[in-house]
Amino acid sequence: MSNSILVVGGGFAGLTAAIEAAELGHDVYIVEKTPYLGGRVAQLNKYFPKLCPPSCGLEIQFQRIRKNPRIKFFTMAEVTGLSGTKGDYTVTVKVKPRRVVAHNVDLTLLASSLEGTVDNEFDLGLSKRKAVYKSMPFAYPNRFVFDPAALSLADTARVAANKYLLPEEPEKELTLNVGAIVVATGWKPYDVTRLTNLGAGSVKNCISNMQMERIAAASGPTGGRIVRPSDGCRPKSIAFVQCAGSRDQNHLNYCSYICCMASLKQAQYVVEQCPDARVSIFYIDLRTPGRYVNVLDKVKACPNVQMVKGKVADVRQGENNTVVLTVEDAVRGEKMTLNYDMVVLATGMQPSLADDKLPLPLPLDEDGFVMGGEEAGIFAAGCARMPLDVMRTAQSGTAAALKAVQTVKGR
Amino acid sequence: MAQYNLEPDSGFTKELMEAGGESLKKCFQCATCSVACPLAPENNPYPRKEMVWASWGVKDKLMTDVDIWLCHNCGNCADLCPRGARPADVMGAARNMVYKKLTSPSIVGQWMSKASGLPILFLIPAVLWLVVWWIRAGFNGGEWFPRAADGRIVFGQIFYGDYTIDPIFMLTFFGAVGILAVGVRRLWKSFEPGKVLIVGKTKSWFWHLFDVLMEEIVTHNKFDECYGGPKTPVETPSRRAGHMVLVYAFVILAFVTAVVALGHWGGKVIPLIKIETPMPLTFPVKILANLGALMLVVGLGLLTWRRMRLNPKYQASSFQDWYLLGVIWVVAITGILAQCFRLADAIVPAFVIYYLHLVFVWMLFAYLPWSKLGHLVYRTAALLYVRMYGRP
Repeated sequence: MSNSILVVGGGFAGLTAAIEAAELGHDVYIVEKTPYLGGRVAQLNKYFPKLCPPSCGLEIQFQRIRKNPRIKFFTMAEVTGLSGTKGDYTVTVKVKPRRVVAHNVDLTLLASSLEGTVDNEFDLGLSKRKAVYKSMPFAYPNRFVFDPAALSLADTARVAANKYLLPEEPEKELTLNVGAIVVATGWKPYDVTRLTNLGAGSVKNCISNMQMERIAAASGPTGGRIVRPSDGCRPKSIAFVQCAGSRDQNHLNYCSYICCMASLKQAQYVVEQCPDARVSIFYIDLRTPGRYVNVLDKVKACPNVQMVKGKVADVRQGENNTVVLTVEDAVRGEKMTLNYDMVVLATGMQPSLADDKLPLPLPLDEDGFVMGGEEAGIFAAGCARMPLDVMRTAQSGTAAALKAVQTVKGR
Repeated sequence: MAQYNLEPDSGFTKELMEAGGESLKKCFQCATCSVACPLAPENNPYPRKEMVWASWGVKDKLMTDVDIWLCHNCGNCADLCPRGARPADVMGAARNMVYKKLTSPSIVGQWMSKASGLPILFLIPAVLWLVVWWIRAGFNGGEWFPRAADGRIVFGQIFYGDYTIDPIFMLTFFGAVGILAVGVRRLWKSFEPGKVLIVGKTKSWFWHLFDVLMEEIVTHNKFDECYGGPKTPVETPSRRAGHMVLVYAFVILAFVTAVVALGHWGGKVIPLIKIETPMPLTFPVKILANLGALMLVVGLGLLTWRRMRLNPKYQASSFQDWYLLGVIWVVAITGILAQCFRLADAIVPAFVIYYLHLVFVWMLFAYLPWSKLGHLVYRTAALLYVRMYGRP
């Protein structure tokens, strides 16, 4: 029997659930796949409802974790096995080696001296990273990762004698005893290569909304300057393509809830940075849940922003790396072929569990969202359950924490 | 946009759904389909507007819409449709509704619209030709399966050209032509947007029709244009080859029929051009006829195979689709088999199959104005209309 709680996933839902449970006096373990906590929120430039930078909300969460000895977290870790029953689970966790020493050593200088690079997954392929890297400046834990696979031949010699790197550090396996589990595995952006008619990710300057967040973020590949990835020039026209994969039986057969808001938010980034740029938003319905309708009104009032009812169904490369869209304006009944300097596909949220299954008895619906499983003492939170914004994700994290606490209480 | 008073007709929507558009209510008007369609023009593209008319039951708009005939049913729109509303099928269903309702007697249209009408459609010619058989058997001394004086099987012994086949089929054929003429006039009128100002040089409708024939029907190039749309995730089998082989097979068979008719009737005046049936297998006209029959089977095979490979999630086949393929299949098969049995000297099956052949050929022609084959005339008319006046 155990009073401890396992939280799978260290994004906003998982962090909230972990902190809430720990602050109620329970031991909590967070198992996070990436080298940092904060999940998708950490990749954003700003997030709703207040349009704060992620450092703002996440920093508070990190403080609460730092101050709470009941929370233990494992980054670069994955759950590999589960046995036992509700109230008395034994969980095995595989922890990949970070290959740097345990304390916060600033390896920035070493990193900049290296030459080998690979795609930076944190910037969704918009930048390269070195073999020694930290995903973002305010990463928590504030530690580098050493990835020997990215070393060039010259790099190998350069890092050979470094006493802060542990190239031989082995993979670890842990066994945790917990009473309840919170699954907060979150989401991933829908794979654009599946959107064949929208260019399948091969059209230059046609990026996804998450890539746009990285471009707009100060810590991102362009230092926060909104420019075209192909030539670094300011775009004079930008289009947002809504429902890129969402509400589509061939892709994500549901509304991803937040993409309309994301595009309205990103339209504001553009309006702030490039006041002369022409912005078009192509939509089926502009969905602004609850009070978010205020944001729609605000963006509508921008003189350079145009909203067109009609789904873009064809994206091709134009001259000079522009992007050519074809769309019917369904109100006027006109099929238009339009040229933009840059296009943002508002790709939807796909639950991480759609492709990467967990070794937990989790009933999933056909899209990969968790449906139930609570009788086993396993509670889903955040976007593992349904597409949500950050605010509602936090609420669902708290809800899952309370259910988990009730499960282990009094044992 | 002009003011338009909507008169929804839910009964019409239901009928449309039964005619092959059962998925139309799933549409949420995203307009993907209009972009997916490589044939849809920039101004007032289709099929999104047809989808909303269908779902509201705006009968007068949909039935008089020239665009339903411009659609060549490639299915691109259905492949990309996010809701599985299958716009291609809805366009087909709208055309089926025109076949059903455009001409009288409308009861035939009702029989043609679902499988339950099939028995009566079959029984009419079955009884007709049975009566002919019965009467002619009487002329042959009560022998239902008579042989010619030289012992050969000659279908003319029973189904004598001059008095039975020719008058009945001429009546049927020209009757169908007359009904189609009425239909095409109505359809043409319904397209009419009122007075149209045509700027620039015009040419006569005849030359426009010539262009339609040469640029579209002879080459079938619209079918290829169909595949110029945005890339879809679904592999949609092409129907160009099958349709083209089938059309040319019909052209050949029509030509053969005309030559034989000319030889037969003309031969009564000018003995030099006389053609006697059955023709020997090596006779050029016979060779051409058998080539036509073979092409018919090849074309049918390709089109049927294609229909069977369609993914029902994106495109389905309506009763009208299968009726037309089916009736041409049985015409082809009974035609070929009748010849085979005749040559094999199997007299009973030869006559029975030939009788069925006449029944099915009659079905093909007599019901043409209410069948999908009506597109031969109605689509051609729409293509001509668009060339002359543009789209309303």
